[in-house]
Amino acid sequence: MSVVDSPATRRPNDPGRSQQNRTPGHAAPKRRPRGSGRTPWLLALPALLLIAGLLGYPLVRMVVLSFQNMRLRELLSGRTPPWVGFDQYTRVLSDNVFWAVVGRTVAFTFVSVLISVLVGLGIALLMRRVSRGVRLFMVVAMMFVWALPQLVAAQIFRWMTDSDFGVVNYLIDLLPGVDYQNHSWFVNPWQGWSVITTLVVWAGIPFLAITLNAGLTQVPKELLEAATVDGATPWQALRNIILPILKPLIMIVTTLSVIWNFGLFTQAWVLRDGHPEPQFQTLATYSYTQAFGQSRYSLGSAIAVITVLLMLGVMIFYIRQMFRIGEVD
Amino acid sequence: MVAPAASPAAPAPASTVPLKRRRAKADDGVITVGRSRAGTILANAAGVVFSVLMLFPVYWVLNTAFKPADEVLALEPTFWPTSPTLDNFISAFKAPLFLKDMLNGVIVTLLAVAGALVVGFLGALSIARFSFYGRKAIILVVLVVQLIPFLSLLIPLFLMLQSADLTNSLIGVSITYLVLILPYTVWTLRGFISGIPRELDEAALIDGCTRAQVFWRIILPLTGPGLVATSVYGFIQAWNEFIIINTLNSPDKQNLMAWLLQNQTTRGTAWGPLMAGAIITSIPVVIFFLIIQRNIATGLTAGAVKG
Repeated sequence: MSVVDSPATRRPNDPGRSQQNRTPGHAAPKRRPRGSGRTPWLLALPALLLIAGLLGYPLVRMVVLSFQNMRLRELLSGRTPPWVGFDQYTRVLSDNVFWAVVGRTVAFTFVSVLISVLVGLGIALLMRRVSRGVRLFMVVAMMFVWALPQLVAAQIFRWMTDSDFGVVNYLIDLLPGVDYQNHSWFVNPWQGWSVITTLVVWAGIPFLAITLNAGLTQVPKELLEAATVDGATPWQALRNIILPILKPLIMIVTTLSVIWNFGLFTQAWVLRDGHPEPQFQTLATYSYTQAFGQSRYSLGSAIAVITVLLMLGVMIFYIRQMFRIGEVD
Repeated sequence: MVAPAASPAAPAPASTVPLKRRRAKADDGVITVGRSRAGTILANAAGVVFSVLMLFPVYWVLNTAFKPADEVLALEPTFWPTSPTLDNFISAFKAPLFLKDMLNGVIVTLLAVAGALVVGFLGALSIARFSFYGRKAIILVVLVVQLIPFLSLLIPLFLMLQSADLTNSLIGVSITYLVLILPYTVWTLRGFISGIPRELDEAALIDGCTRAQVFWRIILPLTGPGLVATSVYGFIQAWNEFIIINTLNSPDKQNLMAWLLQNQTTRGTAWGPLMAGAIITSIPVVIFFLIIQRNIATGLTAGAVKG
């Protein structure tokens, strides 16, 4: 964060908050005024209670539910659902449909994040190269895209790819020798997923490009000039100077993109009119449909637990990154 | 091969390099490797093409919303509304539940944001200004809960609110949204508060202020801009949410986002009014977003995660 402590209050062994070479494990001498014992806890109490009650408890309840068998009957009668041990998990894990969903979600995440980060980086580099007016235009265009609510963006894409009156079909049909009239984009899953991926990448580029562009402005110009004088090609300068400096930031935005795209729900949901076909289910929509569409609350919970477990590695990585770059102290 | 452009700081050394790219002077941090005039023209062209492509869907929703009904469903779409009309906006406003859901959305969002701001500010104060045993644990909790996909908690949340008789109520959704935006609020405000020099606190304490007075006279006023930015971001989050409210509440207790979703599926072909409704729904978000976009960019990489 851009907020900087004044030098006097800064820890003596911490030369700069965003430096990587901080010495861990040293207690901060006299850094904060000692609270009068209970005050900090009293201040944090409402937030902690709310988090515990509406995030912590549901998290526990979700795990508990996944070992029960909660159906519509139990929901309506309010009786404790029967315990079934690992039945939900064996059922989910031995289901080919589930593994197809996992594979699809992972593949989508990989492809969409790869494209988004590469394009985002390319656009960020382009922004450093264009004239000021063009750069401003690019920023304004991306800001509008970024500001659009996810649902609205997805509905616009739904409308643009409408089989009868969609502008995409019209434009493709203009190409000589191509007949795209009344073409339905969601019959073939590959085509459907390319629409979803385009939407996700389009919506994700502004965050990536603008953040990476901000990172690029921090690359010391002297280094690049020195490299050029020494005969480095632009490609070498990019690979040996720019990318290493940008690496921590790239890691963070990539991790965030993975977390977001892995949880894909809105786009698939809206483009498939709230009833995604099996070939358009992701882990998030699958868990949701099982729970709220089929009233299999326990099965849905088991899928959600597995989803969180699958994400755990990425999340831990993200938290560690946050600590490492010194945002957390 | 390609001469580097003169750096803005130092004029080009007595040189064979002509100073023809003056605009480079005005840019900071422009990457000068591989600059050439043809390259700049090419890059500008690419930048313009990229921007136009990015804006196309935005332009298309505006174009559709201002078209008369027969033009919306034309086999050959017009790229500029020849006879622009507000009919779609009027029929969106007149559509059943539109105004009701708009009001619901405003109520739910304001309640959630106000609550998150009060609770979050106190929490932020605690971890930014005090050192105590367990502080790191609180920070870790705040960071970790942001990463839990909220959607996966929807099943137990639904069951909890159901047994507390809080489904199909604006209160239940407001509380849920409050918790949804709370971790981000704590985290961002923590940043703003720790940006206030501690000498100010100490000076005030020496001059005889009580801790409460330090809070009211120093910390709160100086966190003002941060409070605005944080609450606007919370507003956007709560305003944009539709899955939770769509699951917990019936259509007359939902917000505009859920209204849009309902109307997409029930009246699949009424694209004109739907796009008009989408524009109306997006306007507050877009305006707020453009106001605080700087904070959002830094906030996100500083450890906050979109819900």
